[in-house]
Amino acid sequence: MSEKQQDNPEISKIKDFMKDERFDDVVNIIALYLGDSTDENYLDRLEDVIETLMLLHGGRTVLRFLIERLVIDIPSLLENLSKRDSVLRYSFLLLLKSMCEDECELFLPYSEDLLNSEDPNVREAVLQLLVFIAGGEKSIEDESLIKAITDSMSDEKDFVVKKAIQALIAIGRDKPSLVTKIITNNVKEFPENKELKESTDKIIRSIVSVEGIEEIVEEEEAIEDEEVEISEKELELKKKKIEIQKKKLELQEKEKQLEEQFIQEKEKALKLKEDIIDQETEKPLKKEDVEFPKKIKKIMKKEESDILDKELELKKKDLEIKKKKLELELREKEIEQKAIERKEEALRIKEELIEKENELSRVELELKERKIKQKEQKLLEGELERAEEFFEEGDRENKENGK
Amino acid sequence: MPLTPEHIDKFITVESDSKTKAELLELLNERIKKLCFEECERDRILCTLSPLCSKRFLLKLRMLNGLSVEDQPKFCYSVHKNIIQRDFRNKTVIYKPFDTYLYLIDFLDVFFHGDYRKLNKFLSKGDIKAAIEIFEDRIKNRNEEFQYFLTADKNYIIFKFDEKIHIIFLNEKYALCNANRENIPNLEILKALIDLFSNLYFPEIERRLIPNDCVEIKTYIPRDVLNKTSQEPPENDKNKKDQYLWNTFANELDALSQFCKEINLYTDKKGNLKIKLHLDVNNGIRYRDLRLVFNIVFRLYNDFYIIWI
Repeated sequence: MSEKQQDNPEISKIKDFMKDERFDDVVNIIALYLGDSTDENYLDRLEDVIETLMLLHGGRTVLRFLIERLVIDIPSLLENLSKRDSVLRYSFLLLLKSMCEDECELFLPYSEDLLNSEDPNVREAVLQLLVFIAGGEKSIEDESLIKAITDSMSDEKDFVVKKAIQALIAIGRDKPSLVTKIITNNVKEFPENKELKESTDKIIRSIVSVEGIEEIVEEEEAIEDEEVEISEKELELKKKKIEIQKKKLELQEKEKQLEEQFIQEKEKALKLKEDIIDQETEKPLKKEDVEFPKKIKKIMKKEESDILDKELELKKKDLEIKKKKLELELREKEIEQKAIERKEEALRIKEELIEKENELSRVELELKERKIKQKEQKLLEGELERAEEFFEEGDRENKENGK
Repeated sequence: MPLTPEHIDKFITVESDSKTKAELLELLNERIKKLCFEECERDRILCTLSPLCSKRFLLKLRMLNGLSVEDQPKFCYSVHKNIIQRDFRNKTVIYKPFDTYLYLIDFLDVFFHGDYRKLNKFLSKGDIKAAIEIFEDRIKNRNEEFQYFLTADKNYIIFKFDEKIHIIFLNEKYALCNANRENIPNLEILKALIDLFSNLYFPEIERRLIPNDCVEIKTYIPRDVLNKTSQEPPENDKNKKDQYLWNTFANELDALSQFCKEINLYTDKKGNLKIKLHLDVNNGIRYRDLRLVFNIVFRLYNDFYIIWI
């Protein structure tokens, strides 16, 4: 502990209150101490506080309060610690270990953002916290977080890569199949990256036990079964489509045949008409001749009625085909509608999430504002007290002078 | 019974076949390399908070054998430097960095941060005068509290920051920080340390270097004090001088005898009791031992010598 720190009245107060286990008062002093800091001395003050807490019994409890009450927020804390030496940084991280194990929800919301920090020390620090979290009560199941950690395996800094491997091993002990799936998919994305392959091998070797392999195999088998089912259904669908197409073609052929038949019939009828006209013009009317046209007329009438029947049939079939076509279109539209509905549902969930996040950040802001107001209030009260004292002293002096 | 380190130590001492010895030592070397560059640095938290070699002595092993900073495990060395820096600034450290070595430029960076490039340039080129000007400027104009002493042959500069002793080895281009349990390597440093402490705490006491032999420190207890000392052991604590001469002095002479090559006690012509100490480096006197010698000499000087002068 520095001499400067030993002389510091706030630090002395913190120590005294810690001895008496007045943790709330300690938190308030620290909040004021850090709140009064300038840009230049904030880091020094933060370091003094951290050093003091690290050494004292109950320091972890106070630190938890500080994080809970947002006096210290994890992202800026890690960023600030990154500017200091590794001894302080790692000692502090170690101080957070039990908190990570027991209350991971204090850290997990920031993890993904911090993994994308520009500062490699911050990336390493958050990975270390994830190692601690994975060693705790709750297992990490968030696929996108595991994916983000997996992305850190390709980090430009070697020490971040090592820490990412360590984190994945720690998470993978609880969730071998999930981690295996994500890291193997990641390797497939970069098939030429040998180092990535080696690291992935290493992680898999570390996390997979005999039971784990069985579990993974079972899951893979289940996935394979699902895949087979899906492909079978796809085949069926394809078959049905082909059948529909066949039927369509058949119908078209039938239409053509019917049209051809209709044309042939018409041609026949026309021929007959021509013959009749020719006979009427060439020969005078005889008994037989008079009888002949009657027959023909009958035949014609019959044929005409046949043609009409066939026309009706054709129209019926046309209607049926149209009906089937419409039904198919309807089905397709229904499927499309379902897909759109699903998409809408997903979007709605996303919107809800965003709204909740916004609400959270609004609440955080409100909390911060409240704290600032409290501080201002305290300062005002202090000022008022001082002013009162000043006026009282003035009055007293005036009285004395009067006397 | 499995193989123990003692067996290996004995084997290296006894074995005459140099090839076998070399093979064994190569095995050890490979193990050290793996330990430092793979196992320990694999996890930076582990390397920072609980290094795999105690107090990072393997850094010292490389440094004392003339290896450069490029041959050191980088992160481990940076933590090592950080720890010395934090200790210098009285901040909490994982272990007290006693008897630790730093490369010259890093030593200057830790203890003389603002001027370290200039100092490194001057000291590397042998321009000690220019370096001393900077030290003087820092003491006189920048209110820095430290003492320094350039050794007689200008091979070393000794610094005293509060109670901590640091020594720059100018030819080797490294520095020993917080000298404590290390042996004092030569008479040049021993004499410089005695001069530095004498100047600060017992300036009138005689001291001289007997070349290639030892450093002599001469003090005395005046005749008047001796005459006033009771002839029988004191029965109470009233007279502290009596108490000291009857009860403590003999023990202190005994303690001194562990670190001195010779102790001469005799009365001079004026009847004063002369105490002559011969200190050498052949018996492995450590920096902390010298501190004990200084404490005894300081007491004799403060309680008897200075009053009578």
